[in-house]
Formats: sequence, structure tokens, C-alpha cells
Amino acid sequence: MARAIKGSLVECDPSIKALIVKIDSDYRDIVIEELDDTHLLVDPSKIPFIKRELSKLLSENMYNLNEDNQA
Amino acid sequence: MSNSIDVSPKDDDYFSSDDGSTDDTADSHLDLLGKRVRNKKGVKHKDALEAEEMEKAEQKAMEMDRPAEFVPDSVSRIFGYSDFSFLKLKPDHASRPLWINPVDGRIYLESFSPLFEQAQDFLITIAEPVSRPSFIHEYRITTHSLYAAVSVGLETDDIISVLNRLSKVPVAPSVVEFIKQATHSYGKVKLVLKHNHYFVESSQADILRMLLHDEVIGKLRVHTGDSNDADSNDDELERVSPASGLAIGAISGPANSASGPSGPSGPSGPSGPAKSSASAPDPTVEDIYESVIGEGDDGEGDLDTVHAFQISTASVEIVKKRCQEIDYPMLEEYDFRNDLRNPNLEIDLKPSTQIRPYQEKSLSKMFGNGRARSGIIVLPCGAGKTLVGITAACTIRKSAIILCTSSVSVMQWKQQFLQWCTIQPNQVAVFTSESKEMFTGDAGLVVSTYSMVANTRNRSHDSQKVMDFITSREWGFIILDEVHVVPAAMFRRVVTTIAAHAKLGLTATLVREDEKISDLNFLIGPKLYEANWMELSQKGHIANVQCAEVWCPMTSEFYQEYLRENSRKRMLLYIMNPTKFQACQFLIQYHENRGDKIIVFADNVYALQEYALKLGKPFIYGSTPQQERMNILQNFQYNDKVNTIFLSKVGDTSIDLPEATCLIQISSHYGSRRQEAQRLGRILRAKRRNDEGFNAFFYSLVSKDTQEMYYSTKRQAFLVDQGYAFKIITHLHGMENLPNLAYSTPKERRELLQEVLLKNEEAAGVELGEDSENFIGHGVSKRLKTTVSRATKNQSSLSGLAGGEDMAYVEYSRNKNKELSGAHHPFFQKNYYKKKKK
Repeated sequence: MARAIKGSLVECDPSIKALIVKIDSDYRDIVIEELDDTHLLVDPSKIPFIKRELSKLLSENMYNLNEDNQA
Repeated sequence: MSNSIDVSPKDDDYFSSDDGSTDDTADSHLDLLGKRVRNKKGVKHKDALEAEEMEKAEQKAMEMDRPAEFVPDSVSRIFGYSDFSFLKLKPDHASRPLWINPVDGRIYLESFSPLFEQAQDFLITIAEPVSRPSFIHEYRITTHSLYAAVSVGLETDDIISVLNRLSKVPVAPSVVEFIKQATHSYGKVKLVLKHNHYFVESSQADILRMLLHDEVIGKLRVHTGDSNDADSNDDELERVSPASGLAIGAISGPANSASGPSGPSGPSGPSGPAKSSASAPDPTVEDIYESVIGEGDDGEGDLDTVHAFQISTASVEIVKKRCQEIDYPMLEEYDFRNDLRNPNLEIDLKPSTQIRPYQEKSLSKMFGNGRARSGIIVLPCGAGKTLVGITAACTIRKSAIILCTSSVSVMQWKQQFLQWCTIQPNQVAVFTSESKEMFTGDAGLVVSTYSMVANTRNRSHDSQKVMDFITSREWGFIILDEVHVVPAAMFRRVVTTIAAHAKLGLTATLVREDEKISDLNFLIGPKLYEANWMELSQKGHIANVQCAEVWCPMTSEFYQEYLRENSRKRMLLYIMNPTKFQACQFLIQYHENRGDKIIVFADNVYALQEYALKLGKPFIYGSTPQQERMNILQNFQYNDKVNTIFLSKVGDTSIDLPEATCLIQISSHYGSRRQEAQRLGRILRAKRRNDEGFNAFFYSLVSKDTQEMYYSTKRQAFLVDQGYAFKIITHLHGMENLPNLAYSTPKERRELLQEVLLKNEEAAGVELGEDSENFIGHGVSKRLKTTVSRATKNQSSLSGLAGGEDMAYVEYSRNKNKELSGAHHPFFQKNYYKKKKK
């Protein structure tokens, strides 16, 4: 009997994939299978969590003029 | 960008984040807003006092502004204090170009409005420019800009009425109040330098008494021996001289004599200094302009009695700061034409010297009412700041001292002085570590560096003689080149140890990454003039530059390592990104084919060497000997085969760089805006700039999704404010087809990754520039370097350490003999080792 696990296919840039793999290594149980450089199979219930973590990590790289407003 | 709405802390219940939502866009939008609110509250805990003070000020302003019958509508609470809907739009608002924000005094000006030119001239006089891109300009009214306005003769009521004329809505009462307050107290207190002593002067005795009762200033008063009363003021009668007849730069000629005394915007302002009285029936906007801007300052021909008390030289800075705090800012003006005590220096500009209109405008701000005002002039790199300094010196015609950042600039200043004005070589003295002579005659020029003058430790006998000479006499004029370095603790002293009547600071970038830039206001003076970079490049005085940011995606292996490492090694990884290599190679080849001369900048020495050696180009960094540097630079300038060179931080300031037409930046020093602007300045002086359609290029290569993006955006902030737009290039067309593309195979990339990972953290450091002591915390601190441990950490495999790969394991031991220093026989110590030390 084949075992079937339901997952969501994520298609992204290699750098985002590396970020998701990093989130997986910190939190466990996110990624079911890494398919190739740009595709991943992830647990569907964790999708909002992934989005939040990604935006948190990516916002570190963004410089927001309003936050740092001076002179 | 969704983050641009200003949320007031009170409204956070409106924006609580909604976790259960499955709608993609709504979730992220509210989420981000909610996060911003939460961040704001976090900030409030940190500096709660400041935030509360601000809220109180806002409340007060709001009470002053909001009329009693104001009814807030449904969206008011989103805006909180920033709801200004009670200021009604005037019916012809479309033809009025500006809007003033009552909260922070920012003025937004439409550049496409028909009244733009005049509005801009007016705003330059009363406000400071913040940001001047193509369509909407931002200015800010500050106390300092209002002081500058009053000092050239503008009246409070005129300012307010012109603002009302130009504004789309009636000017808010809090703004009017602010203007009245600031303009009222200016000019009442003066700081005068007489016989090498500083005096605080005022024409109203009660103001002086009030100052003496102030707890900070009263203590600092120095009593001169010959006064008997307990609360005596030295009464003196002084004649204040009229302002007519001043020709700037002493070039006589119809153009200059007309523009000399006729106010701040003489050369470019409305025709003729016609004055229309304020009571004329319904004056048009033009009339008001002429009365406000074209007004000459000739109301000062009367005798004024002034009272004064003396303060010591060391406490000048404290007193100035304190006066500013209590809203009685000190006016410092040097009446050089009536200064009979200091000997004149007979110099003039050579007749062949041509002053450009913006240079003249900036000088007219300095000499606005016939006296020399201290302050700072900001002009872009390559726009002729040196000539401005020289012209000012030729106007004041007293002994002057000029301070620069490095000995190379010292030579450049001396050469320019000899070139543009009639000064004789024996009147110019150079004070650096190599040369310490003095000028002959009573008056002359001294050119030196900040480090030479600020040095407090032991000096050689010759240096000490020169320093005594400098500190013992009164100087008419001091020019501070690259004045943004002065607030550093080491250099502030310079300003007080040298007694100069008039101080001029020159720089292209009046920004620092710490908060000390505002200290310049009382160290030297207010900002007198700031040039518009875009306008200068349109007129052809500086080159037209296309700025671009090239996004280089990180390869997946590099990115994974980047995520794992800590911050210093990370820097190495995102600089040595193979995609960045390829982009750099492609751009170099593309521009060389166009015939451009290219300079590639890299702050990190390891990256510089790797890139330059791989691409086969010459490079210069700190350890390159002088001869080799000259060789490379000469070849770059004249040899057709050498079109690209790589430079490290030394290229930022100390080298006399030849012109380039294309600049590529592969690594930079964190978020330093000043560095970015100064690097751009290297191509602004390109000689070909007046050719039709000529563009210089400035590329900044950043690795995508890394910290570098953050720093890059921060650095560009200054240039964006000057009007440069950074285009984003995500893909270089044709890059894959480049022959000999570096690191095109995965194997090569893996090797590069190995190499980079093996480098220890020190390789990721930034090179200590030659002028690093000018910047606090921006060069690598020397103190840090001495405490580095002698053990080095390396990462490698076990077989590598055992010699299995091509690595040898070597042990170093310090020379035992060195430990015996000081234990020599006295005979040898005296004769051999002492001589060696010399």
C-alpha cells in the first residue's frame, strides 16, 4: 500500500528556498521533501507560519526610511 | 510601500493583527501595520521621556492650531495629531506651490508649478533643503535657517506674508508663532573677538544682565582688572559700519559691484533692488519678493552703544551652546574692513579667475551685510569649493589659516592659492610633518592638517614653535576643509585653540552617521549655502550621472553558508559572490568597449586583491608603495591600454585621482552616506561633462537578499535627497554569453566558497584608511587592533591540518632576542640602540 502524505508545492528562488530550509532547521517539521533548487514540498498547515517567518527575515534586509528618519 | 502610513500610538486597537485570516494581501498588510505600531510602542519604552515631551509639544501645537468649532470626521483618529483638515484649501490652491506641515515645519514644494523659481529662491533663504528630487522638493524651517534669514535683513512679517501667499492652505498659527519666536531673539547677542579676548556684546544692557544671571554663563565671566562695580558691564561706544561698497573677491567690474551688496540673491534674483513699502495697496507677489529678497541692508549707519562682558577662550563653546539653548543665539560677525589691529594681507584674485554664479551666491550669503559671517558652505565635489575659500580669503584680506584632512590636500590648497590669486610663495607657509617653516612679513597664510594642529602629545621643538606662533596671534580667517570631520572629539579643540574672527567650513557632505553634525552649528556657524546638485549638473558644472544598483543573486551554496555564519564572515560571503564577479567583469568589458575609464572601489582588501588578480587589472591599496601608485595612476590617465583600476579606501580621500567616467562599487563600509557621496564625487569632475549627452555611470553591486541590500539603501539616502535616482538592474543582458566568464562552472564556485570559508574573520575587516582618525568609529579603531589576541582561528579538515591536503602546518615563535630589550649593556644601549631608534 502506498502511503500518501498531503503537501503543498512551493516554487521559489534558490535564496528563498535556502531561507525556508533554514527555518525548517530551526523549527522542525516544516519541509516534507526538497525537490530541487527551486521547488519544495511543505506541510500545508504551516504555510502562514512560513510566510511570517520569511517576511521577518527579509525585512531585516530592507531599509525603511521612516524608521530611521533623521535630518 | 505599505509602510508609509503614520500610525499614532493611540489607535493600536484598530490595527490588531488578524491571525485567522486566509486572505493573502489583507493579512500581510494589517500584519505589517500592526507590527509597526507594536514597534512604536516598544520605542516609547526606551525613550519614554522624549516621546512624552514630543506628545506634549504636539498637544500644545494642536490646541493652538485647532479652532474651537473643529469637528473631527470619521478618519481623523487614524491621523491623530496630524489631522489638519481644519486648514481649508484656498480656492486657487492649484496655482500655489507649497504646503507646510505644522507638526515638524516641513515645507513641500511642487517643482512643476509656475511659481516654482521664485518660491525656491525664497525658500532657500528661509529654510534648509532636505530633499530635492525631480517633482516634489522638501524643505524644513529650523531656528538656524530663520536666523540666517534675519541676518540678511528679512522681517518677520514679510516672511509670514510671503508664506501665506505661496501656501495652498492658510499657514497654521503654530508655525507663525514659531517663526515669530525664532526671528525675535536673533541678533541680540554678539560674540566679538578683540585683542585676542572674547567678549559677549549686546546693545541692550538688560539682555546682558539676564545672561549673567543665567547659571551657566554667569560663572564663566572673566572680570577684567579695571572695573569696580559688582555688576559692571563694560560700556563701549562702537560705530557699526554701513554695508555699501563691498566687492566680493575685490574684482572690480560692473557685474560684481552690482551683485556685491544687494542681498543674498543678487545675481539671480529679481531685477534691481527695488523696494516696495509694506503698506502699498494689495502688493503683487513680485513686489513682495523684491522687498523681501532684493532689500539691501543699509539701515545700519547709526551709532550704537553696546555693552559687553568678557569670557575666557576655553568657555566660548559652552557659552555659545548655552545661548542657543535659551533662545538667544550668538551672532558672530567679523567687521574686517574696520579691523585696524590685524595687519592686512594684500592679495587679490587674479583677473583670469572666473567665479561661477553659484560660488558667488554662496559668498554673498557669507558677506551679506558687509561683514564676514561664520558658517558652512556645502557644495558638491568637483564644484570648486577651493575657489570659494580662496575668494573669501581675498575678500577679508587678513592673515588666514587653512586646515585640511591630509598632507596631499595641503599641497593642493597651496598650489591652488598660488594659481588663482596674487599671493606670493613666501607668504604661504605649510605646516605638516615634513615642513615647518613660517611666512615672512606680518601677514600671510598657513596651510596645515587637523592632526598637526590638534595633536596634544609631545611635539618636536620646531612644531612647538610653529604651534606657539599659531596660538599666540589673532587670525582673521580660518578655512576648515571637509568640515564634517570637525565634530570628532579630537578636532573640536582646534576651533577653540585657534583664535579666528571668521570661520568658514567647506564640505560636500554635511552628514555623519552619529548625531554630532548639529554641533557644527555652534562650533562654526550655521549652514550658509547648500548647492542644488541637480541644478549644477544641468548647467554643466558637474557631470551628469546615471546611478544604478545591480542586484546579483547569491548562488545557493554561498547563500546557505551566508545564513549560517555570523556577521563579519557574512560580509566576506556576500562580497565574494560569484554572480557579483561575473557582473563586475561584464560591466568592465562593456564600458571599456565604450571607451570609458573605469574605477572599481572595494573597501575590503581581500576582495580587492581577489577581484583584481582574477580579472587582470592593476590595484592600489594602503600598502602599495608610493612609486607604484604613481606609476599605476599615470598609466591609467595616459595609457590607452590601461582603462580600469581597482582602488581601496585610499582612493576615497588621499589620492589625487585622475578623472574617470565610470565607477563600480563592489564593497563598501556599512551605511556610510558620506562615503557614497564622496565616491560619486570622483566622477563629477569629469572633463568630458560638457559634451552633448555625456553621462557618467555609477554602479553599486549588491548581493540580493543579504544585509548588503540594507546598507546600500541607507547609503543612497543622501544621494537620493540630492536628486539622483538609483535605477535597479536585476539582470545584465548578455552576461551569460561573455567569453571567459569567471566562475561559470559549479566546480570553480565551490572552490571559491572553500577559499572564502577558510579565511579568518580579520580578512572581512575594512582597511584602515590613512585618514581614519578623522572619523570616530568609522575607521577600524586602533585601540581594538592592539587587543587582538595572537592566536588565530582557522577552519579546516583534520586531514588538512595533518598535511594531507596542500597545506603545511607551520609554527611561529617570537624572536627571543626581542625580549631582551632593555637588558643591553649601557655602552651598547647608548651608542648602538639609541641611534637605531632614530
